[in-house]
Amino acid sequence: MELMVIMIFKIILMIFLAFIIGIFFLGLARKIIARIQWRYGPPITQPIIDIIKLFNQGSMSHGVLFNFGIILSLTGSIVLTLFLPMGKMCPLSSSGGLLVIIYIMLLIPLGMALSSGEAANPNASIGISRKFILALGYEVPLLLIFLAVMTHYDTISIVKIVKIQSNTGWSLTSLPLLLSGIAYILILPAILGVRPFDIVKAPQEISSGPMVEYGGKFLALATIQHAFNEFIALSLFVNLFLGGAGNPGYFFLKMLVVFFIYQLVNAVFLRFRIEQALKYLWKWPTLLALAGLIIVVITN
Amino acid sequence: MILETLLIIAFGGALITYLLGKISKKTRNISAVVVLLALVVIITFLYNISSKEIFYIGFLKNLSLVLRINTFSWLFAITISVVSALSIIFSLSYIKGKERTNFYYLMMMLVDASMIGIVLAGDFVTFYIFWEIMSWSAFLLISYNRGAALAAGMKYIIMSVIGSMAMLIGILSLYANYGTLNISELSAFMTSASSVYILFILITFGIGFGVKSAIIPLHAWLPDAHSQAPSPFSAVLSGILIKMGIYGFILIFYVIVGLKNFLVLGSNWSSFHYILCWVGVITIVIPSFIAILQDDAKRLLAWSSIGQIGYIILGISFGTSLGFAGGTFHIINHAIFKALLFLAVGAVEYRTGTRDLNSLGGLIKKMPITFLVVLIGAFGLIGVPLTNGFVSKWMIYKTLILEGHPFLAFFALLGTWAAILYTYKFIHNIFLGQLQEKHENIKRAPFSMQLPMIILAFAIILFGILPGIPLKIINTIGTSFGFESLNVNIWGIASDTGTLNTVNIFMAILVIGVILWLIFKAARKSVKINQYDNYAAGFSIPKEKYNYTVNFYNPLYRIITPYLKDFIDDFYMWISREIKKMSVSVRRIYSGDIGYYIMYIMLFLALLIFVQIKWNLW
Repeated sequence: MELMVIMIFKIILMIFLAFIIGIFFLGLARKIIARIQWRYGPPITQPIIDIIKLFNQGSMSHGVLFNFGIILSLTGSIVLTLFLPMGKMCPLSSSGGLLVIIYIMLLIPLGMALSSGEAANPNASIGISRKFILALGYEVPLLLIFLAVMTHYDTISIVKIVKIQSNTGWSLTSLPLLLSGIAYILILPAILGVRPFDIVKAPQEISSGPMVEYGGKFLALATIQHAFNEFIALSLFVNLFLGGAGNPGYFFLKMLVVFFIYQLVNAVFLRFRIEQALKYLWKWPTLLALAGLIIVVITN
Repeated sequence: MILETLLIIAFGGALITYLLGKISKKTRNISAVVVLLALVVIITFLYNISSKEIFYIGFLKNLSLVLRINTFSWLFAITISVVSALSIIFSLSYIKGKERTNFYYLMMMLVDASMIGIVLAGDFVTFYIFWEIMSWSAFLLISYNRGAALAAGMKYIIMSVIGSMAMLIGILSLYANYGTLNISELSAFMTSASSVYILFILITFGIGFGVKSAIIPLHAWLPDAHSQAPSPFSAVLSGILIKMGIYGFILIFYVIVGLKNFLVLGSNWSSFHYILCWVGVITIVIPSFIAILQDDAKRLLAWSSIGQIGYIILGISFGTSLGFAGGTFHIINHAIFKALLFLAVGAVEYRTGTRDLNSLGGLIKKMPITFLVVLIGAFGLIGVPLTNGFVSKWMIYKTLILEGHPFLAFFALLGTWAAILYTYKFIHNIFLGQLQEKHENIKRAPFSMQLPMIILAFAIILFGILPGIPLKIINTIGTSFGFESLNVNIWGIASDTGTLNTVNIFMAILVIGVILWLIFKAARKSVKINQYDNYAAGFSIPKEKYNYTVNFYNPLYRIITPYLKDFIDDFYMWISREIKKMSVSVRRIYSGDIGYYIMYIMLFLALLIFVQIKWNLW
């Protein structure tokens, strides 16, 4: 019983931390970009203020799936945070490892797609179509990278991968995984959906794409989800390639550095067209990831 | 005795149903359902029984016909009987009012009976007889709709016949060498066979089974046949009939040849099972991407079937206990979710009269239950956690990665991403988006159509959360073939290199989902609005222009289409055209003019006389 309570406490703490970090990143992003563009920018707590405001606003719904989809998507994001070790914390460490993570990651776009599919707005449909194409684009190198890591450490458990790195050093600095790490760095903007890969939302073209029909609490949930996604994408990279961390503080620091670099990319680039993005993702990152996997297979 | 009775009920029931149909349609329908449900019940009670009976001594030496049952054939028999019973229940309203319904029921039940016969066969003569009954009755069902279906059926039966001829060569060679065709006796003989001979047997049988299970490059018949057949039969065809090929593969790999012989065939990188794994991977990737391009709902599912067969081939031929269990589990899973999806397309077609993905949309409001089951089926197909497809795929991936074959795993995972794209397109274009004006008065599918789909959807979730139920049975089969036993629990699989616990995942998703739903409910209630009440940046768009379905993944199509031509099908069609040309030129001899025929006779006689004069042969 006591174990149960500790477990539940850990789960709640983990979700809370993930949310706070994610939402902090959202606020920080706006600040960084504002400063690069010589503006003052909103306060760093702006996303939280927005969420509270949005929950109090009225909203419109297109049907049951419209409600259910966004909840499913957010559930996927939150559950996923339980599989990712943060420091020593990883509440669901023994439930399937990285393979389950790959699959739960599917729930996020799928739920969103189902929800905005029912919205019956062509902008939303175009946005989803782009989301899936983009995801297919970055999944090709990403899967190669994941497989390189799993093959190199000969385990599918992400906790074990972190543990081995604490003895042997970061994956990014170990020679067999170097190319995979570089490929990961090249595709991270696409996973995070920042420029030049903000094709899915593209506010000026398709009015925020999948989110076009959202308002009020839907938009609030979508923002929360965005925060979690930010956390997941960065945490996965830090765990797999930057050795995770012994304590949450150090872990956060690592995430912050990665995050900052991508905000610089985000601030100066223009948006790709979807074909350009696909061609980019299937060219250099894929080649690098492929070479990385071949090296790993040979050295094993 | 019980196995004989089972087959007598199956075949006799088909005949009686047909005859009853001549008298009254209602009694025929009842009889069809009762017979198939009776089969389900009998087979359920056969669980964990292994028996063997000779039902015909035969006139040739050592060729007595044998029926046998063990866990391996039981698993297939139960899948066959359940899926076929459900598809018959679905047929009740689907086929009502169409022509030749008696014939339809007869053929449906014949296919089912012959498939049960195949899995119960204890020797290859019985096996071959039932195999041919299955092939031919399936041919008659595929071409049931006439028109384009006739061509599809022809393609199917030509490939099937070539396949079964290859298999016949294998069977005859086995008989010539060992003087018996009894499966258990053969497996004892084959342990000492030379590897060249084993390879010969594997290839001859493999062509036969490969055509049936539609692995690349023997897949060309499947997309046409699946899309042209009546929907309930498409469900049987994709759900279980193509699995007969897989049954054959497992039989030949692990019963006849045996695990040890099978794995050592060939050297390390060019070993037979490793090459077969690559065949499986190609069968996953290419068809899954071709499926994204399809606009016909059933054709999309047909290509997806080939892709999913690839996972099964990959799993069973990889030769580890986890891989074998995953592949075998995927057989059942694919039978469940693909049957469900085909039935759902049947229901949509029944109500709207079309299955063109470009002219549907918004049906979620009109057919909510059909949508829900399709959603579950699609999640199963993708392999979303908490569905059965996830567990089987997880097992296959895990063994591929841990045995050091990341490239195989990569392509298998890539196939899953393609699956997301095409299943979402499938769901979106049928059920989401704008409802067409002509579909505004569509009713829900009748209950006899919904019931089979609901049962299948329930099975997807049940096996997804408690995968231990089928996995325990599969584990018994695996160990009987000489695989290491897996540590199977009701909630998944435990091991040092990564445990799967579906119940944990389920609890996490459930609790968090419910909490979020409560938060959602607690917030201000949202107003329900009309489908045309949409944000369009201040412009008013005409209603019929408000749907985005045609060329759903257009930017992707432009990039991948040039690479995704079905060269193999083109090649077969080229062969068939050349043969036709040749036949036409041969036909010129038969001009129909009696004068020519007399000339042929004269010339032939002249030749004979010439030969006799010259060489004096006679």
